[in-house]
Amino acid sequence: MRNPPILPKPSSPSLPHGRGSVAISEPRPSGSGAPGKAVLLALILTISLVSATRPHYGGTLRVELRESIQSPDPPQVGPGIPDLFSSFNINRWEAGHRAVFTADDNAAAGRPFLDAVEIEMGRTAREQTADLNLGRADIIQIGPGEVPRVQGGRRIWSSSPIRLVALVFDPRVDDTRAREALALAIDRDAIHRVLLQRQGEISGALLPQWLSGYAFLFPAAADLDRARRLAPAGRTMTLAVEDPALRSIADRIVLNARDAGLTLSIVPPSGAADIRLIEARVASSDPARALAGIAAALGLPDPARADTPEALYNSERALLDGNRVIPLFHLPEVYLVSPRVKGSPGISPLGEWRFETLWLEGGRP
Amino acid sequence: MSFRTRLLLLFSLAVIASVGTVEWLISGLTRESFERTETQRVDALVAQFQKEFNRRKEDIVRAVNAIAGSDALATIASSADYSQFVNEAPPLAASHSLDLLELVAADGTIISSAEWFARFGYKENWLTQGEWKKRGAFLKREEVPEGVVLSLVSVGIASVGDQRVFVVGGQILDSSFLSTLVLPAGMRVLLYRNLDAQFSPAQLIDARGTARSAPPLRSLIQQVIRDKSDAVETIGNGPEAETFHASALTGYEDNPLGVLLIGSSRRSLVELETSVRRTGIFVAIGGILLGVVLSLWATARVTRPVHRLADSAGKVAAGNWDTTVDDRSTDEIGQLARAFNRMTRQLVEQRQRLLQAERVAAWRELARRLAHELKNPLFPLQITVENMQRARERYPEQFDEVFREGTATLLAELSNLKQIIGRFSDFAKMPAPEMQPLDFNSVVSETLNLFGAQLAKAQVTAALQLDPHLRPVPADHEQMTRVLRNLVLNAIDAMPQGGTLTIRTTQLPKGGVRLEVSDTGQGLTPEECDRLFTPYYTTKTHGTGLGLAIVQSVISDHHGRISVESQPGKGATFRIELGA
Repeated sequence: MRNPPILPKPSSPSLPHGRGSVAISEPRPSGSGAPGKAVLLALILTISLVSATRPHYGGTLRVELRESIQSPDPPQVGPGIPDLFSSFNINRWEAGHRAVFTADDNAAAGRPFLDAVEIEMGRTAREQTADLNLGRADIIQIGPGEVPRVQGGRRIWSSSPIRLVALVFDPRVDDTRAREALALAIDRDAIHRVLLQRQGEISGALLPQWLSGYAFLFPAAADLDRARRLAPAGRTMTLAVEDPALRSIADRIVLNARDAGLTLSIVPPSGAADIRLIEARVASSDPARALAGIAAALGLPDPARADTPEALYNSERALLDGNRVIPLFHLPEVYLVSPRVKGSPGISPLGEWRFETLWLEGGRP
Repeated sequence: MSFRTRLLLLFSLAVIASVGTVEWLISGLTRESFERTETQRVDALVAQFQKEFNRRKEDIVRAVNAIAGSDALATIASSADYSQFVNEAPPLAASHSLDLLELVAADGTIISSAEWFARFGYKENWLTQGEWKKRGAFLKREEVPEGVVLSLVSVGIASVGDQRVFVVGGQILDSSFLSTLVLPAGMRVLLYRNLDAQFSPAQLIDARGTARSAPPLRSLIQQVIRDKSDAVETIGNGPEAETFHASALTGYEDNPLGVLLIGSSRRSLVELETSVRRTGIFVAIGGILLGVVLSLWATARVTRPVHRLADSAGKVAAGNWDTTVDDRSTDEIGQLARAFNRMTRQLVEQRQRLLQAERVAAWRELARRLAHELKNPLFPLQITVENMQRARERYPEQFDEVFREGTATLLAELSNLKQIIGRFSDFAKMPAPEMQPLDFNSVVSETLNLFGAQLAKAQVTAALQLDPHLRPVPADHEQMTRVLRNLVLNAIDAMPQGGTLTIRTTQLPKGGVRLEVSDTGQGLTPEECDRLFTPYYTTKTHGTGLGLAIVQSVISDHHGRISVESQPGKGATFRIELGA
C-alpha cells in the first residue's frame, strides 16, 4: 500500500514552478489563433476537430490500480481517488478492492461527461495488461520501469517526477559510517537505467530538480571504494520495503550493500526494520511546502523556514546531513490509457486525477 | 567309552566334518558368486546412473541452445540497449525448466539473471575467456541470493552479426535435482558440494536434504577431491553396509567442485547370503541329525554281533565254556563269531580233557597218598604180626611179652590208620558254612591258647598284633577256627628249630577283615607257593597235604581270598581277607 498523501489536495489545479514540466505523450491541440487564411483554415480545422472529438456524456470509466487502499472509508485527501470527490459522488467502497463513483450533477465545475468511474484496486501488472487489451479497463496504473514493455503504441499519461523513493533509517541506527557507506554503495544509475528504464530522475535530494532547481547539487553517484572503507565489518541491517513495486530496487540495493561489505536482509514491512525503502509524494508545487511535506512523510524534523532558494537548499541540506534519509529517485505517476478515453490528460503534473474532462468513445471490444 | 560310543562319535564327527566342509564350500562359492553378480549389478547401475546424469547434462545443453537460438535472444543480441531486457531471463528459464539462466553481453555484463534478478550490470568475466561452443554442461559455483550453490550449467551463444550474447543456463545441484534422477531400487545418490574450504558435512546432500551419513564418507570424499579420480568404498557392516562409487565432478577449470556418490545398499546381498547360510545351516543340521541317526543304526548293526561276542566271551570267562554266538553272517564279524565258537568248542574239549587228566592225576595222587599213608602203619602192623607169629613158634616163653607189646603196637598203628582215614573223611565232607558275626580277635586268642604247650615245646614264640578296632564279619566260627589251627600248625611245622609266630588282624576300609599268619621258617620257593593249596601236596615228610587245601576251601566258601607271600629263608606269610 502506498503511503498516505502528505498534503491536502490543492483546491484547483496549478502549474508547477521551476523547470518541471508535464510529460504527456498525447499531443495537445493548439488553441492559439492566427490571422487571415491561416486563421480561417485553423478555425475550420478546429471546428472539424472539435466536431470529431466532441465530448459526449455517458459511459463508465474503468481504472485499475496496483495499490490496494485498505482504509474503511475512501481517502479524502491526496492525489488520486480523493480528486474524484470534486465531480463525483462515492457510490460504493470496498476497501482494498473496489470503488464506484457516479457523476455529481451538481458539481461546482459542472456535471462530468462520464456517468461513473469504477476503480479496481490491487491488480497485478499481468491482470492490468490483459484487462486493458480486452477492454475491461480504460486506464491502468503502471510502474515507471514498465513503460517500454507495456506501452505498445498506447497513450501514456505521466506526471512530473513527484514520487520520491528513498531509504529511511530507523532512529536507533546511529552508525553514521554504516549509513554513509550504504549511501555511497548504491548504484542509482544501474537501477535507473535498467529497473526504471530511465523513467524519472536519479536524485540525491528530497525535492525533484524540476521543483527545486538545485537537486543536482546533492551527490547521487556511487563510490564503492569509499563505501567499503566506511562500512563497519560484519554490520548487518534489515530492510523493509513498503511497496512491492519497489522490491526489485530493494534487491539491487541489497546487492550493492553486499559489495560494500554491508549485509542487508529484506524483512516484511510490518516488522521493525533498520531501514525502510519508502515513497513520499511531492504534493505541492511550492518547494518549501513540498519539502515540509516530504520531511514530515519521512519522519524528518520540520525544515527551517526558507524564503529563498539558497535558504531552501540549506534547509534541505540540513535534513539530509547524517544520511538519515538517502534519496534515490524521483519518479512520475504513469498511467497507460485505452484509445477509448478521450479528452484532456486525466492527470495533472502533480499526479492529480482530472477525470471530469474525460469521455469515452466507441464500444468495448 | 564303549566301542559303540566311539564308533558313533567317529561316524558323527565324520558326518559333521563332511557336511561342514560341504556347507563351507557351498557358502563360499555362493558368496563369491553373489559378490561377482552384485559387483556387475552395481557397475551396471552406476553406468545407468551416469548415463542418466549425462542425459540431464544434454537436456541442459539442449535447453540452453534452444534459448540461444530463440527469437527472443536474437532480438536481444541485435539490440543496442540491453537494459530493456532485464526481465527476459526469468520467463525463459521457467519455460525451459532451468533453475539458473543469465543472459550476458559479449563484454561479460549481465543483461538479465533469473537466479538473482538484481545482478544485472554485474560482470561475468569468466565467460569472455573461454571457448564454449563444444564444452557441454559443467559444474559451476554459483552465487544466488540465498548463498552459494553448486550448479550444472551450459553456455550457449546467441549471435546476430557481430553482436553476441551469452546464455548461461543450468540447474542447481541440490536435493530437488537429485530427487528427479531415476535411480534403481536399493540405490541412492549423494552429492558433496565442494564449496567450502574445509570438509563440511552440511554440503553432503541426498534426495531428501542434508545427508546424515557424512562422517563415514569423509575420507572417501576427500580422496576423490584430492585425486580427481573415481573411488569405491564400502561403508558399514552387515545389512547396513553400503558400497559407494564416488566420482569427481569438475568445473570448467577442471577444479573439483563436487563429488557424486552412488550408494548401493548391500542389504539384499547380505540378506540373500544370510538366507543361503541359514538354509545351509538347516540342511547341515538335518544332514548331521540324519547322519547321527544313520550312525546309530550303523553302529548298532556293526556292534550288535560284537556285543554278542563280548557277552559270550564274558560267559566263557565266567566258566560257561559251551557258550556260542550266531555265526551266520558272512562278513568279518561272522568269521570272528565262527572263530569264537571254534575256540569255545576247543576250550570245552580241552577242559574236559584237562578235567579228565586232573581227575586221573588226582586219583593217582590220592592213591599214592593213600598208599603212602596206609603203607606206613601197615608195615609196623605186618612186622608186629610176623614177630608175634615168630615168637609163638620159636619163643613161646616170650610170646606173652611179645604179644603184649605187639598188640600195643597194633592198636597204636590202627589208631594212626583211623586218624588218617578221619582226615580224608573230613576233607571229603566239608559242610556249608554257618555265617554269623565273628570277632576274629577272639578266635585268634582262643585258638592260640590251645597251642600254648605245643609252641613252647617247639620253641616258637607267639606274637599277636590285633587291631582293637576290628569289627565282626559274617563267618562260620568252627570253620574259621579250623583254618586258623591249620595255619598255626603249618607255621610250627615250618619252624623245627623254633622261631616267631606272628598273627595280625587288620580292619579293612570297606568293612572287611585281614588276617595274617607269619612264620620265620625256611620259607617257600615260588613253585611251592603256586602248588601250596593243591590237595595232597605237601612239603613236609609227614602230613596228608590236605590242610591248606581245606583252608582254601573254607575261605572260598566264605567268598574270601587267601594268598601266601614267601621268600626262601625269610619265612612265609599267609594272608586271608574276608568281607572286603
